[in-house]
Amino acid sequence: MDGLPTHRLIPDLVVLPGTREELVAVVRLLAALGVSFVPRGAGTGLSGGALAAEGSVLLVLTRLNRIVRIDRDSRLAVVEPGVVNAKLGAAARPAGLQYAPDPSSQSACTIGGNVAENAGGPHCLKYGVTANHILALEVLLADGSLVEIGSPSGESWGPDLVGVFVGSEGNFGIATRITVRLTPLPRAVRTLLADFTGLRTAGEAVSAIIATGIVPAALEMMDQSCINAVEDSVYAAGYPRDAAAVLLVEIDGRNSDAVVAETDVVTDLLRQSGARSVRSAATEAERERLWQGRKKAFGAMGRLSRDLVVQDAVVPRSVLPQVLETIAAIATHYGLVVSNVFHAGDGNLHPNISFDATDPVLKNKVEAASAEIMQACIAAGGTITGEHGVGIDKMRYMPLIFDAESLGAMQAVRRVFDPDERVNPGKVVPVHACREWTHARGDRVGSRGAAPRGEAA
Amino acid sequence: MTGIARGGFEGLDACVHCGFCLQACPTFLATGDESDSPRGRIELMRGLERGDIAATDPALISHLDRCLGCRGCEPVCPSGVQYGHGLEAARSRIAGSRPVPGVARLALWALTTPGISSVVYWFARVLRATGLPRLLAGWGRFGFAMGMLAATRAAQGGGGRRKAAKARQVAPAAIRRPSPPLATLLFRGCVMQGLFSHVHDATIRTLGVNGYQVRDVSGQVCCGALHAHAGLLDEARALARVNVDAFGDGDEPIVVNSAGCGALMKEYGRLLDDLRGERFGARVRDVTELLAGSAMKGPVAGEPLDLHVAYDPPCHLLHAQGIAVQPLKLFAAIPLLELVPVPGAAECCGSAGLFTLLEPEMSRAVLQTKIDRLREAAPQVVATGNPGCLMQIGAGLAAAGSAARARHPVELLDDAYRAAGRYE
Repeated sequence: MDGLPTHRLIPDLVVLPGTREELVAVVRLLAALGVSFVPRGAGTGLSGGALAAEGSVLLVLTRLNRIVRIDRDSRLAVVEPGVVNAKLGAAARPAGLQYAPDPSSQSACTIGGNVAENAGGPHCLKYGVTANHILALEVLLADGSLVEIGSPSGESWGPDLVGVFVGSEGNFGIATRITVRLTPLPRAVRTLLADFTGLRTAGEAVSAIIATGIVPAALEMMDQSCINAVEDSVYAAGYPRDAAAVLLVEIDGRNSDAVVAETDVVTDLLRQSGARSVRSAATEAERERLWQGRKKAFGAMGRLSRDLVVQDAVVPRSVLPQVLETIAAIATHYGLVVSNVFHAGDGNLHPNISFDATDPVLKNKVEAASAEIMQACIAAGGTITGEHGVGIDKMRYMPLIFDAESLGAMQAVRRVFDPDERVNPGKVVPVHACREWTHARGDRVGSRGAAPRGEAA
Repeated sequence: MTGIARGGFEGLDACVHCGFCLQACPTFLATGDESDSPRGRIELMRGLERGDIAATDPALISHLDRCLGCRGCEPVCPSGVQYGHGLEAARSRIAGSRPVPGVARLALWALTTPGISSVVYWFARVLRATGLPRLLAGWGRFGFAMGMLAATRAAQGGGGRRKAAKARQVAPAAIRRPSPPLATLLFRGCVMQGLFSHVHDATIRTLGVNGYQVRDVSGQVCCGALHAHAGLLDEARALARVNVDAFGDGDEPIVVNSAGCGALMKEYGRLLDDLRGERFGARVRDVTELLAGSAMKGPVAGEPLDLHVAYDPPCHLLHAQGIAVQPLKLFAAIPLLELVPVPGAAECCGSAGLFTLLEPEMSRAVLQTKIDRLREAAPQVVATGNPGCLMQIGAGLAAAGSAARARHPVELLDDAYRAAGRYE
């Protein structure tokens, strides 16, 4: 189980290595036995990517949580995979530095998981996603060998293997040492809360801001249902409960005059786009509160119902208002409560569907509505995941955006790292969709199929 | 299914397994195992309620036994999961299907049975008076127990307390002594009465300075918290009923200086599921609540004490009762006293009632982190308002060879009042 309630698997064995050496020894043993395994961090994922089925061993990396070093001069940190994102941030702060990618689960999720999923976060609008902040990796491959890819000093020779590895959803191996880029903390920050009486006007305000060429550090949207869940929780941030939507906009930079000037432009734009009010966080504490409300929104929605499916899709920003209306229509059609909290600035939607998973009828409706939402996003020119990954949950949508040849190419890349497909088997690329390709390769069919394990022994 | 029929499990329904609780859980931080985290334990408890996991399942029992019950996960939970209620329900079900561990039985018998406990505490006090426990303190099982006992000893001559030279220059604050003084009833408890009677004395004196007349109530017994945590809800209820009768139906506040007792006593209404329990619970006040005052003005100022103090909020005060600011008001009433910030001070110390006896390994692992950080911050006194924490932290400090003492916040205020001549 992870953050998604719709998938639940029980592994044969769970191993919690305490050191890198133990981890390597375990992986070598598994290689010798030909047993498949699944690496897992904090289990905050939302696509079922870190679940291990019967026949697989779950390798939990939470104990590999050492920050090996923080290099202030080179602006980098070397960490083990189990280091919690927020703890790295806290450790870098005294040096005036930050680790920019800030997924909403950052108080719990691990850097290793962030690398596997190429995690995003509110501030990735300006600073870029995880892939833009990983300099080098030490990778433990399925056969137990350790390889180093990338370079701490930035550019390395040959193809960008770090770029290939980041976001591979645990299919290529385990990152055992991660060298991350640290960036200077902004000197000036302004955080605005704008509230709107319509979702559409809020969506239009987003497009208007992006059109000016100003790149906010973050640009987030929450709808009324989400606002109320947060306001009912310990993370109440003072969002207006009667608003149809609020936008959280952050402008930051090194030069405070420039930040103030940009903030004024954005404030005017928000007002012109129909914001009922725009307020600026007066203190660091207020700013923190506004952000905590946003970041804990997923958990707060547990107040609405027993279970919650957090969806993830990306659409072009220009069509945000229409897509939001389509999602609302789908929700009404299925009689479901859908709340929206998302990274509006990069068009990354997170429709949250509240339901009771003990009701099988309802559960089917949720699955059907999720599929329709995905199709609507694809039809609008978008794609099926922005940052949560494909995992198990999104495999069924892969054929909607990739043809068999593309899926086959993905498998081929994966086999470069893991020829026997023993790391995180059965995830990301749907096997049935590329069967055509697999058959065409004839000789490789034997290594797939019903019993992938045992083959390599 | 009604709330009562589900006995507390309904408190877990709001969990959507976001995982935001993981880093707030001392046992997860110690093992990294999700089954030792709130989210993992909620999954186990849900399985227990559904009947998918038997109440006799050894893995279930082990992971739930290893929960401190500190409820550090509750204040960080965005969806307001009532973890503590679920845990109590699960433990009660486990207790119904297996005998309570012998050590727990023995401890409950020795520490809370009227007649028996007075003899046990007498022996303990005699042993404590010899000064041997302090010398024998260490990390081993015996040494740690000795350290715990040594930590219950009243500070002699102030334990690092110093009268400031310029004391007389500080004008005594106007005494807001209402006339007639407000009556309040003292809850004495079991361990507090047996080993911390000096804290009771300090409570009576400091409240007296602040306009309260503290009365004793006869016929009161142990609050039942240790029993409730062990899953012995019926025994906890029996004790609660005795206390409800003893304290009567007046409306004087009932003052408690043990956070663990206060947390349960405030919930007597839920435990007994009746109106008298509810009314009793509404009267319960932690001593720091009364001293801070409803307007949070804080107690009357005392004489300056040149002390470096680390405040360690007990989980059952901070998380279970939501009392964060009031204890700080006591320190603010002592000029010169400097609060030393310690990272992770709000994390559990690993005491958790009988936990320190039943799960020594996990308990020490959780404590070790705290002791390491305390040694770095190097305060002279670690102040905390719960007997379990006082003993646990005191024993840890002694085992680590630190000269710092663990003391109840009211003891410090009491020192400051004595130095100011308020008791002369």
